[in-house]
Amino acid sequence: MSKLIIKRILIMLPLLWLIATLTFFLLRVLPGGPFDAEKNLPPEIIANLKAKYHMDRTLPEQYYIYLQRVVKGDLGISYKYLDRSVNDILASALPVSLTLGIAALFLAIIIGVPLGIVAATKKGTAIDAMCIICSTLGVSLPSFVIGALLIFVFGIWLKLLPVALWESAWHVILPAFTLASGPTAYLARLTRSSVIDALSKDWVRTAQIKGEPYLQTVINHALRNALIPIITVLGPLSAILITGSFVVETIYAIPGMGRFFITAVSNRDYDLVIGTTLIFALLLIIANTIVDILYHILDPRITISD
Amino acid sequence: MLKNFCKSTPFLLIGLVLVMTNLANKQTPRFEANTLRINLGCEPPSLDWAKATDAASFDVVSNIMIGLTSYANDLSCRPACAESWQILDHGKHYIFHLRPNIRWSDGKPLTAYDFQYAWRRLLDPKTAAPYAFFLYDIENAFAYNQGKLKDANELGIRAINESTFEVRLSRPIAYFLYLTAFCPTYPQRQDIIERYSNNWTDPGHLVCNGPFILTKWQHEYKIELTANPSYYAAKPSLKTIKMFMIPEQSTAFALYENNQLDFIDNRSLPTSEIDRYRKSGCNEYRDIALLRVSYLGFNIEKKPFDNVKVRRALSLAIDRERVCRILRHGEKPIANLIPPPLLGHSDFSTEQSYNPKLARNLLAQAGYPEGKNFPQTFLLYPHREDTRLLVEVMQDELKRNLNIHVDLLNQEWQVYLQTLRNNTPPIYRYAWGADYPDPDTFMNLFTSHNGNNNTHWSNKTYDQLVSLAGCEANPVKRATLYKQADYLLCKQDVPIIPVNTAAQNMLIKPWVHGIIPNALDLQFFSSVGIGD
Repeated sequence: MSKLIIKRILIMLPLLWLIATLTFFLLRVLPGGPFDAEKNLPPEIIANLKAKYHMDRTLPEQYYIYLQRVVKGDLGISYKYLDRSVNDILASALPVSLTLGIAALFLAIIIGVPLGIVAATKKGTAIDAMCIICSTLGVSLPSFVIGALLIFVFGIWLKLLPVALWESAWHVILPAFTLASGPTAYLARLTRSSVIDALSKDWVRTAQIKGEPYLQTVINHALRNALIPIITVLGPLSAILITGSFVVETIYAIPGMGRFFITAVSNRDYDLVIGTTLIFALLLIIANTIVDILYHILDPRITISD
Repeated sequence: MLKNFCKSTPFLLIGLVLVMTNLANKQTPRFEANTLRINLGCEPPSLDWAKATDAASFDVVSNIMIGLTSYANDLSCRPACAESWQILDHGKHYIFHLRPNIRWSDGKPLTAYDFQYAWRRLLDPKTAAPYAFFLYDIENAFAYNQGKLKDANELGIRAINESTFEVRLSRPIAYFLYLTAFCPTYPQRQDIIERYSNNWTDPGHLVCNGPFILTKWQHEYKIELTANPSYYAAKPSLKTIKMFMIPEQSTAFALYENNQLDFIDNRSLPTSEIDRYRKSGCNEYRDIALLRVSYLGFNIEKKPFDNVKVRRALSLAIDRERVCRILRHGEKPIANLIPPPLLGHSDFSTEQSYNPKLARNLLAQAGYPEGKNFPQTFLLYPHREDTRLLVEVMQDELKRNLNIHVDLLNQEWQVYLQTLRNNTPPIYRYAWGADYPDPDTFMNLFTSHNGNNNTHWSNKTYDQLVSLAGCEANPVKRATLYKQADYLLCKQDVPIIPVNTAAQNMLIKPWVHGIIPNALDLQFFSSVGIGD
């Protein structure tokens, strides 16, 4: 296992460098810059701003300065939020997205997986049809529709839960359900098809002939094998959920990291865009490494050196 | 029995929900005592007022700081840190006498040296302050900000002693006092900025001299201000102001309707809800015309808009009153660049600004009778919902009255700005808001060398009139000069078509008292109270 982790770290470093480099140059190709504003500033002022942020240097020089910083763990500065470093911004936003993402992931697993198992074991019945309808709705309804619906019903109409904001544990409930809706539905569909597939296998039939109770067979034999594709999906899904969602954070006014994926680009906040991209890439690599380790635990036939 | 239980379950659930709803309704108080809850809409990019340029930052700074002067409700300048001032040398030399009883929130007395430091820091090229150019009329300020002059002592900015601050201008500017009420010119503390460097605006570090102090800043979420016990004037009745940063309009509006915000404006009020509140007869809705003009600009170097008759024809073909009726946002029609009530403004008249018959004649004289053979052209606008409606109405007006078709093209905001500056389209939509309540903030915009004049229009007479008006101390003469320049711009040469002034629409809960909106859209909460 340690070999796998070392190998992943060795691959991760050049990969992160490549991502940072590509993002750095692609951003410079975009029209518009961080100092373009509704009220155009005089050229003397623009010159001062460019000098302050080293943007008066050539592009290779800027790239060199940036790399020097990144190597030291400094992700740069924000051009929009003056005097704030990208490290500061991400350090205050990531824990919020992490909390919300973990809550949503937890909901998606505890609702989606059992729903899929129930649908698979009751295949062709009304319960299965209901599960399919629910999961189809969950996948096809965009989160801004689900969010607005939940706000209206539980926040405005019933007044049971807060409409928005990030003040207490109660404020996590609606956004977590909104964020979890898509992944829950996806996991339910995936679990259903994987369990149906596993239930048709010989070892399941053998276990049942031996007299093992049905529920036990499903959990011990069918589900364990059906978990492989689910775990595969959970890797990137975790990275997506814990880095936040632009839509959910915007409609619930949550100070997370998700909104920076969009606003940093529209503000041409170069270093912040690269910072968010690197964090996302890093979390994706970590999640995939954990998935590889889990493969081995679930199915010892899979060797982690693969 | 089980069957009966199953049958009654839905009713039990509904009953439970109703009870919970009732409890929830009873438990939620309508307002928080002595607390005002508002929405800033976004994170203030900086609370360092030397570097701030945007409305969200100014909304915070305006409530924690005061400058040499401040705005009265009618936007005239009144004494603030300075209790009096002298204007000498035909308006080129100002001496401000500071009040003796003003203290910073950490108890230290405010001195003229704090102003000297702040103004010099604003002009220091290392600060890279975007709004440093507002002080370019101070002696040697331009050269110092360009880095050509190194010695700050050569600037026309000096603290004569602890209570006297002196400013020398290179030319008299009639609106100079307004700049002393403008956030970037507020005093700053050298010891605090040097001690905490980039973190000096954090709560606990930042010291201020206004009615409130910064006590909490949760980035991208909320700022909390509390009453400043060291404030020199009447203590504010509010104890706390909670300023949320809710980017989504409908979310903020839902919070207002749920009594979780006490005051909202355009940032939080969907257009579709304005009519509902207007017609409901409740006292929560208010609006005010802003000093912000929306206009269409031409690139006068591109055909067919190099022909002044075409530009005049287009200007006369737009029914601005109809445009405002469709926009439904409280906008007011305008045919000149200087909006009321500023000095030199002209009253709007539909008869003078909208004349389709004359417009068609002018178009025919330009070689396009009934719009025939009019070249294919387009109008560029930024990708924003409110702008899209406006340009669609324009397109319709031109088709209806001149039989010409103008394509609409939108671009993402930053791309749009770059296109305007590097390759100005034939027609574009833009808006300009006043930085200070003086016509200069608008008229300077279309002088030949102004970086915001994207029309490529240059007129020496206009430049001269605006320059003379800027230095003129007599208000009657100033108004005449600006009117002449405005006529040249909007009626004679027509590089732009002013269409409407913007409005601020507000909803204020009945328990909020003392909010006095102003046309500059600056929000001051020192006289606001909460209670039935």
